[in-house]
Amino acid sequence: MQSFFAILKDSYREAVDGFVIYVMLGLSSVVILVVASMSFTPAEPAVAMEAIVQRFAVIFPDKGRSRVISASFENRYSASAVKPEGDGYRLRLSVTANSSRGDDPDNPQAGDSFRRTVAAWLKQPGRTVKMSDLAGKQQPTGPGGGGPPPPEIEFSFNHEATIEEQRAVTDAQMEEFLRNQFAVHAGLTASVQRRQANEPQYEFDVTTTGGSAVRGWPHTMKMFFGAVTVSEDVNLGTVLWIIEDQIINGVGGAVALLIGLIITAFFIPNMLRKGSIDLLLCKPIGRVQLLIYKYIGGLTFVFLITSFTVGGIWLAIALRSGHWDPRFLAVIPLLTFTFGIVYAVSTLIAVFTRSPIAAMIVSIGFMLFLYIVGQVKTIFDRLRLEERGDNMPQWAFTLVEILNNWLPRYKDLDKLTSKLIADGTLTEAERRTFGLASIEYPSWESTILVTLAFIAVMLALSCMRMVRRDY
Amino acid sequence: MSIIETRNLTKTYGRIEALKGVSLRVEKGQIYGLLGQNGAGKTTLIKILLGLVRRTDGEATLLGEPAGTVRVRRRVGYLPEDHQFPYYHTAYSLMDFYGSLYGVPAPVRRRRIPETLELVGIAGRMHSKIKTYSKGMKQRLGIAQALMHDPELIILDEPTDGVDPMGRKEIRELMATLKKSGHTIFLNSHLLGEVEMICDRVAILQRGQLVREGTIAELTQQKGLYVVRLAEGQSFPIEAVAQQGYTVRPLSEPPGAVEIAMHDGQTIDPVIRLLVERGLSLRHLVEQKQTLEDVFMKTVEEAEPGVDRQRRRGAARPVGGGN
Repeated sequence: MQSFFAILKDSYREAVDGFVIYVMLGLSSVVILVVASMSFTPAEPAVAMEAIVQRFAVIFPDKGRSRVISASFENRYSASAVKPEGDGYRLRLSVTANSSRGDDPDNPQAGDSFRRTVAAWLKQPGRTVKMSDLAGKQQPTGPGGGGPPPPEIEFSFNHEATIEEQRAVTDAQMEEFLRNQFAVHAGLTASVQRRQANEPQYEFDVTTTGGSAVRGWPHTMKMFFGAVTVSEDVNLGTVLWIIEDQIINGVGGAVALLIGLIITAFFIPNMLRKGSIDLLLCKPIGRVQLLIYKYIGGLTFVFLITSFTVGGIWLAIALRSGHWDPRFLAVIPLLTFTFGIVYAVSTLIAVFTRSPIAAMIVSIGFMLFLYIVGQVKTIFDRLRLEERGDNMPQWAFTLVEILNNWLPRYKDLDKLTSKLIADGTLTEAERRTFGLASIEYPSWESTILVTLAFIAVMLALSCMRMVRRDY
Repeated sequence: MSIIETRNLTKTYGRIEALKGVSLRVEKGQIYGLLGQNGAGKTTLIKILLGLVRRTDGEATLLGEPAGTVRVRRRVGYLPEDHQFPYYHTAYSLMDFYGSLYGVPAPVRRRRIPETLELVGIAGRMHSKIKTYSKGMKQRLGIAQALMHDPELIILDEPTDGVDPMGRKEIRELMATLKKSGHTIFLNSHLLGEVEMICDRVAILQRGQLVREGTIAELTQQKGLYVVRLAEGQSFPIEAVAQQGYTVRPLSEPPGAVEIAMHDGQTIDPVIRLLVERGLSLRHLVEQKQTLEDVFMKTVEEAEPGVDRQRRRGAARPVGGGN
């Protein structure tokens, strides 16, 4: 173990000798400072509850399980008498339904709109329309206009329920519907009890648990220590998701991988330089050990940098918002693992060529190639899921499947990390409306195993070359 | 037990034979010098001993164990030729790093590092970055790192390369001290004068073959060659001396001098008697000394006449060159 720590320490010395590391740490510190300058002020309970119940117009059929989105704007929701109780709040929820269409059994739009909404919520979505169809067959593009189209979101307009179905809706089902809406739209756990009122007016006593730190609670967000107001009504979770996934895991992750690669691409070629390698190989350490330790040295360097940045941002977010969800911290090992893929390629090229430039170019090229394969696979999966891939040749699907099965799961790791962050920040409703629920996620097991196998093969080839070569 | 022993050691790089059946023995406590021109195979031989290069054939043992194993490397210190230290280290941190790889415990390292750096004369700069060192200082640091773990065998490839004359003297004295304390030193150097001064035994490699091997005394052994000059105005009796079986050759420098070569069992005494009998006055009588450089040049020329001209035409160099 003494040799292991000696090489780790040596890698650290090599990394901190250049200026790039200080630029990277400086950038990370600036990002942490910017995040730390953000303030999140929860809206007053009465205002917040009113805002939350307004979201109830959006419903998810099949008791909230469907990824299809539906909406009913005929009911008017309102929250009143909001008072703190325990670690949550007690409030009165009023629903004013529309019953102006009479009780004609032949008119599917007749009856009471709230009962119709609950009856529709209890059922499967039925006929659906895709977002692309709504947009006149135009495929929307991803953020920034590039990349694959966002996941296809489906809408249901099936608010139809017969008079019998509406009458069959029980108080318990109404309460269940509202409990689900509080959970889906605000992440609030609520107990709901119907009060007597004359229909189409509905009254419910609601008691929620969890304070204002729940992800769906409206907040006023300011930046630069209160100097700039970004929004006065934004969900805490949405902001955190944008920071953690879109900015840090997305842009920050790519920058960290690139800079990490540039810095560490010198580690192994420098070690293998003529005159340098002799000094190491004459020491009582095996060549395989030496190479693997050096590889781990590179990973450790990226792990430490990522820990500093992600850990700092996580701490700043938690202290400023009160949201202490640890899932964002998973970015640290996952980003390091992702780096492990490209660094294994960099190691292989370094052992064969002893050139840091070759190692850098090939590994960055490989990273881009994996990204493209991952993107194409995502598009093809969606086409297949939506049965829209008829005009694509079968060989294209097969090729992408083979590449995805045999190559490390660079894009899949990114998808899974994003899912983890979204699960920890967004509300159910937001995940579905952002289309994240429509993505087909790979399994952790296959992603990690295939990636580990690839890294092992790269390192085995590197070690074989290192052991056989005369220095 | 021999500290180093090679038997019929062979190394080929494709069609190039870098070592052709080299056999040698180095005993404990010796300073053993390995001589040879660039590309003769000296560094290849050292690298095989340390496991940096794999042998093609033959056997090599170090300290009684197969050469190049991790176990045996723990007992060997090595200074490579043209070494390049990681530029981001100081002398202290580098010694600490290498000491850790040798398994030297931290408290011992803390004591040994300043001691060893003091021994080679760079302790005063031990916390400066290596990139600020002169070539001579780097060379001294190279020697220090080879001594850090107090090895039984020290292999030095051109240890005085780039070191000033004063420093070279200090290094020679250091080697003598190490020898006294029972260390064995295997030295590879182009500086024949130095090798002659400090080595007990010397081997000469030529194009991968061991062409001469022995003690300094054996290699520089005199062949009975004298230069004689008489008093001014007297002429040397060349014919009379030649009749006694000596080979006599007049020299242009110094004027009037002759070179007399002894043959088997002959001494210079009969020649001196003859000169005295003839009333001639001897002014100059010197036995011709043979230096190691003479031996080396002669050996190289004998082994392969005109080899320098061939090499200049571009003989391929083996991997890991420098030898």
